[in-house]
Amino acid sequence: MDSDCLSLLPAVCLVLADPKQSPPDDTSLEKLLDWFKELHIQSNGQVLLQHQPCLLEFISSVCTSKTTDPAIISFTLKFTGLLAATKQGFNLLEEGDLLLCAFEREACYVCDLWEDASVRSGWLQGLLNMLKHQNALDFICGNGLIKVVLQLQNDRSLFVASLANQLLVHILNFLTSLNMTNGSDAVGSSVSSLRSDWVSVSSEIMNAVVEALRSEDHPRVLLGLRLLSLVLSQCGEPIRSTLWKDVLVPLEVLINRGSESLTQTLMTVLQAAVRTSLLGQSEYKVEELLEAMLGDGNRKGVFSFSLSLSFSPEISKRKATGIILLPLQCVSTQPQTEVETNLVLNEQLSQKALCISLLMQSLSSLAELAHTKYLFEDISIHSITSSVVLLLRMCSGHYPSSLLHINASIHLIGCCKVQRCGLDTLGALSFYEENVDLRKDIFDVLLDFLQSPDSHATVLKKTFQATVRWIAVCSPFPDLLQFISHDLFPVLEKRMWDLRWEVRDSTLEFITQLTAALNGNSGFTEALHTSGMVSVLLSSLADTEGYVRASAVAAVGEAVTASFHQATLERNSNLLEKALTQMMIVLSQDTEVFPRRAVVKAFTSWLKGSHPLTALDSSLSSVLSLGGNDFDWEVKMHTLELAEVLMEKTLTCCPYMQNVDFSEKTCLTQALSRLKDFGLFDLLFNSLFDCDRPVCEKACALLVRLRTLTAETADLDHSALVLNVCGNRWGDEVQRRYLKKQQAKASVCATDGATGSDERTDSELHCIKDISLPTILQILDLNDMQRMLMLSSDHVVNSPQSLMEDILSAAQQSEENIVDCY
Amino acid sequence: MPDIKVTPLGAGQDVGRSCILVSIGGKNIMLDCGMHMGYNDDRRFPDFSYVTQNGRLTEFLDCVIISHFHLDHCGALPYMSEMVGYDGPIYMTHPTKAICPILLEDFRKITVDKKGETNFFTSQMIKDCMKKVVPLNLHQTVQVDEELEIKAYYAGHVLGAAMFQIKVGSESVVYTGDYNMTPDRHLGAAWIDKCRPDLLISESTYATTIRDSKRCRERDFLKKVHETVERGGKVLIPVFALGRAQELCILLETFWERMNLKAPIYFSTGLTEKANHYYKLFITWTNQKIRKTFVQRNMFEFKHIKAFDRSYADNPGPMVVFATPGMLHAGQSLQIFKKWAGNEKNMLIMPGYCVQGTVGHKILNGQKKLEMEGRATLDVKLQVEYMSFSAHADAKGIMQLIRMAEPRNMLLVHGEAKKMEFLKDKIEQEFSISCYMPANGETTTIVTNPSVPVDISLNLLKREMALGGPLPDAKRPRTMHGTLIMKDNSLRLVSPEQALKELGLSEHQLRFTCRVQLHDPHSDTDTLGRIYTHLKSVLKSYSIQHVPDGTVIVESIVIKVTSSAEEPNLKVLLLSWSYQDEELGSFLSTLLKNGLPS
Repeated sequence: MDSDCLSLLPAVCLVLADPKQSPPDDTSLEKLLDWFKELHIQSNGQVLLQHQPCLLEFISSVCTSKTTDPAIISFTLKFTGLLAATKQGFNLLEEGDLLLCAFEREACYVCDLWEDASVRSGWLQGLLNMLKHQNALDFICGNGLIKVVLQLQNDRSLFVASLANQLLVHILNFLTSLNMTNGSDAVGSSVSSLRSDWVSVSSEIMNAVVEALRSEDHPRVLLGLRLLSLVLSQCGEPIRSTLWKDVLVPLEVLINRGSESLTQTLMTVLQAAVRTSLLGQSEYKVEELLEAMLGDGNRKGVFSFSLSLSFSPEISKRKATGIILLPLQCVSTQPQTEVETNLVLNEQLSQKALCISLLMQSLSSLAELAHTKYLFEDISIHSITSSVVLLLRMCSGHYPSSLLHINASIHLIGCCKVQRCGLDTLGALSFYEENVDLRKDIFDVLLDFLQSPDSHATVLKKTFQATVRWIAVCSPFPDLLQFISHDLFPVLEKRMWDLRWEVRDSTLEFITQLTAALNGNSGFTEALHTSGMVSVLLSSLADTEGYVRASAVAAVGEAVTASFHQATLERNSNLLEKALTQMMIVLSQDTEVFPRRAVVKAFTSWLKGSHPLTALDSSLSSVLSLGGNDFDWEVKMHTLELAEVLMEKTLTCCPYMQNVDFSEKTCLTQALSRLKDFGLFDLLFNSLFDCDRPVCEKACALLVRLRTLTAETADLDHSALVLNVCGNRWGDEVQRRYLKKQQAKASVCATDGATGSDERTDSELHCIKDISLPTILQILDLNDMQRMLMLSSDHVVNSPQSLMEDILSAAQQSEENIVDCY
Repeated sequence: MPDIKVTPLGAGQDVGRSCILVSIGGKNIMLDCGMHMGYNDDRRFPDFSYVTQNGRLTEFLDCVIISHFHLDHCGALPYMSEMVGYDGPIYMTHPTKAICPILLEDFRKITVDKKGETNFFTSQMIKDCMKKVVPLNLHQTVQVDEELEIKAYYAGHVLGAAMFQIKVGSESVVYTGDYNMTPDRHLGAAWIDKCRPDLLISESTYATTIRDSKRCRERDFLKKVHETVERGGKVLIPVFALGRAQELCILLETFWERMNLKAPIYFSTGLTEKANHYYKLFITWTNQKIRKTFVQRNMFEFKHIKAFDRSYADNPGPMVVFATPGMLHAGQSLQIFKKWAGNEKNMLIMPGYCVQGTVGHKILNGQKKLEMEGRATLDVKLQVEYMSFSAHADAKGIMQLIRMAEPRNMLLVHGEAKKMEFLKDKIEQEFSISCYMPANGETTTIVTNPSVPVDISLNLLKREMALGGPLPDAKRPRTMHGTLIMKDNSLRLVSPEQALKELGLSEHQLRFTCRVQLHDPHSDTDTLGRIYTHLKSVLKSYSIQHVPDGTVIVESIVIKVTSSAEEPNLKVLLLSWSYQDEELGSFLSTLLKNGLPS
């Protein structure tokens, strides 16, 4: 631990404990607690308490003061709990009666502060922090705190109630673990084998659950069920089965009563039970309760429940998947397939809001199953997929006259919610290879959405996502190209002129993905060129919306990459040439950052490709210079990434020196001088002194690599690598350092008494304009710069020392800076 | 009884990240989705696991509404929609939709640059999130679905800020977001209809403050800048790209013009253009003065304010520089600050909130020595001023809005507990309405008494008119009788006859009967005659008939007399009457029980 921090701690404690001071910035206390937690993990907590008596004084003064701010009390309770998490800390606190003072039952109620939710939450969190050893448990049990926790379970604050539940479960768990360490065999044991005082605690908690479940008061039942599901999922034996036995009867009553408002919570309980060893033991009746719960599948919210059951092979997963599919089938199956008529469901489907909600649940559950490539037993995936396709058709107004549920289909026309959900599901169904037989129907319905003038922008986006997935799985089929060039491209072209930027952008993103997915498919590339898509892409570079221009840059970039594979095509269309011209305009003139970032990224991706692109050479220096001087530091970062690739390509393969048997150093000199011609060094040095840390860091790392390279090659031709250091910021810095170095050298020479005729005077030094790259790299103390950048302010200083200084200085500040928005 | 439930996940008794869940008429709405900039972990976002147990936000929420572009109101939006997962509609005004991604992007850049930052959204996520946004105009009623409708009202505060009315059936809630009841240099004052919502959820940042006049603060600001420039010093104003920066620019521009000042004013790189572009684009959202002068001269085309180049910082002589970011934690503003901090002639003006840990926060707290990047400490000698220009309604403004909207209940958010408490009492006292101030995680339930609209048949109305009485008056409620038919989600009040006809039902009459025993030593016919005479004398204004078939009829009441052969003096009177004559029937049975006059 930092001694500076320790020295600040007493003053911080005094400030925090002073009721006249308003509490510091709302995040400061949380951050302070984070630091203490870290210390605790490093097991310095007890040391802290021993060596810092101010902490005990702080706790004592806060707990005895009646006027402390709730935020400080809450902090103190959590903090005290944290300190008491070790036995030593606990004992120290108990010796000073501080634990009782902070957590005592009476103390909780007498003060008005208890009304503040943050105090109650701090009290619970404190106990939770503390409960790491037996003494803490004894403290909680012995002082009757369980009663308070049980009451807080019913707190008006969601956060407090949830914390109370967590604490109760933690207590039960802790009892079991203690019992195990005390020698009992937990699995074979029962609750009665616990220590007698702990038995009473566990029974108190468990009785509370049973009584809650028996209660007629609805909120109380809910609380009981919530705690029960937590116990089932987080506690071990014997607690789990003991509690289950006790709650079985009231639980059965609740399930059979079929109250809708309890369905969700009851399902959470059963879901938790299914995952335990209770399942499969007949006396625990888990299966029976499940059957009763699933019933006819009409209960609201039974879907997510069914979804979780469909993964457990032990129970009737057929029924569960049946329930998931039922609304979908009921709506989109024709009568001849004889779906069991379900009157209640039919009634629900005839009400619009319920119909939409049921279908959404059904579809999203199906999508989740499809993502895992779930194996349906009673029904073919073909039939399910056809149902989804039919449902989507109904959403756009087409439906066969023989449908079972005419009402439902009326609700669905133009319903974006179901459309989005259905398209997601259709996309997910592409995981099943057998579905490719249905591709015609699927592409038809997708095309319908793309064509429809009524399609909402969000629906179109989902359609594009589903189409990409299906195209990816159908790419080996020859009819796909036909679909793309004859059906898809004309629609896309139309969509690129949509009035909504969202649609134009999604279309361009889709084309980019499509081109990338079908990269190397010559038929596709040809279609892209011959269909006129490319020229539409190029014209999108001048879109009015920045986001769209950026996506157009990416799409053009991908189209250029695809055309590399077809040299003749590329030559004919001059795509690269046109793209370069327009992209340079974007990079130099666009007022928004996204298109500029996209241009630099496109260059990087081209350069990374395996095709040597001499055509890029003429633009590279402009890109490096424009990108390096951009207002946006991310454009600069991307430019440095481009520089990195350029360095790698130039320095490792030296493609420009083929057929010449030069020595290694000549080769490197040439490569470096080529980089110099590109303006790469100017970029790196400029970026090294940028005001944004990440830019400096990246530039510094690249320069260190260059330094290593030049240092390794002893006889580099420095004269070929001379840089002009005048008239720019980095040059001034280099000159300054060079001068300093020379002066140091001169003073050493002077003391040695040597006066060489080649020594330059001060005035001469000022005039140095040209210095070679290796020399500059040596002059700049790059290692030191890199170290500094690593240490850099990180924008927000996170050190505990800075935090404490901030708390102290805020306390000294007399005038309040009125809270403000940001 | 139907109710409205409100649960703040953020902004409940704090000025942190606003996120308020409202449940009204079976619809669930999220109001704002803000971020707390002070944390660098998940604590900066609201805990969305409390929204719904199964985690599927799209199924649970009907819509999300964003009041304005400040990050404490919209900063968690891409996280919620793209990382947690929400596909439903997000509503905000057109300017908010245009500006919101710029600020989100600005903050993302700052955040991803930080070491150890995890779980943060990307540029692509911001864009994907914006594609889900449905923009709306002021006073345009948008139908989210058949039952839920929303409407935006002007809120002042920042460009595009809006208050929202949310309506399901006859129940409604108004959420103010942040608002300002006094016009400033470029924005107007908030305004709303007298819409009498069941609940008004209002921000209460300045719950106890009656703010000194804005003009005063502005004069103070200009005076300080002027003095510094006059003595040859440099003024640094760290700002965020949009919002306050524009207001301060207008302020300085006019002052420079008026005073004919020559010292240069600069605005840092790349941002002016974009920001001013939006102010020009959304000119209708600015105040009247700016709109009026727009034809002659665009207020946002500044004559004196020039783009800044980093080399200018070293220029000698006075200057004023607006530089980003606003908390002095990185980039250009920090770089300039480092250069100028050592000179006591210079001045720093902080116009906004600073997160703990930033240089801005430290300086505002009066720290004079700062340790910069592990190097030597930086002595802060320049003058530091905090100038809050944020445009929130003060206590007076909040009361004014209540008077405007006339809500039935009030709920305060986005403020400090102690200050809220004070305002709550004041509101309850002055307006005699309940005022709530739930903490984060606490649910407030407001019972509503919705008026259910019912169509009344013309015939029924005509009949009512025919019966006479005063003409209908909207202010004087009046009872009407009829049969209520609930069919196809609509309610109609019709006459009983029409109801029978429409529903194809036949009419059944319900009659009450009772037996009364009476000692009367006469024949049955005489007894009936005596009853007739007795009733005639008691019920003078009623029509009483003695029918030859052996009954006496009073209105719908039928009276018969029987006796047994064994006890001819003991008469049994059979009375029967219809539901309408319930009162009279009971009266007659009691009357006859007392016997006939001799």
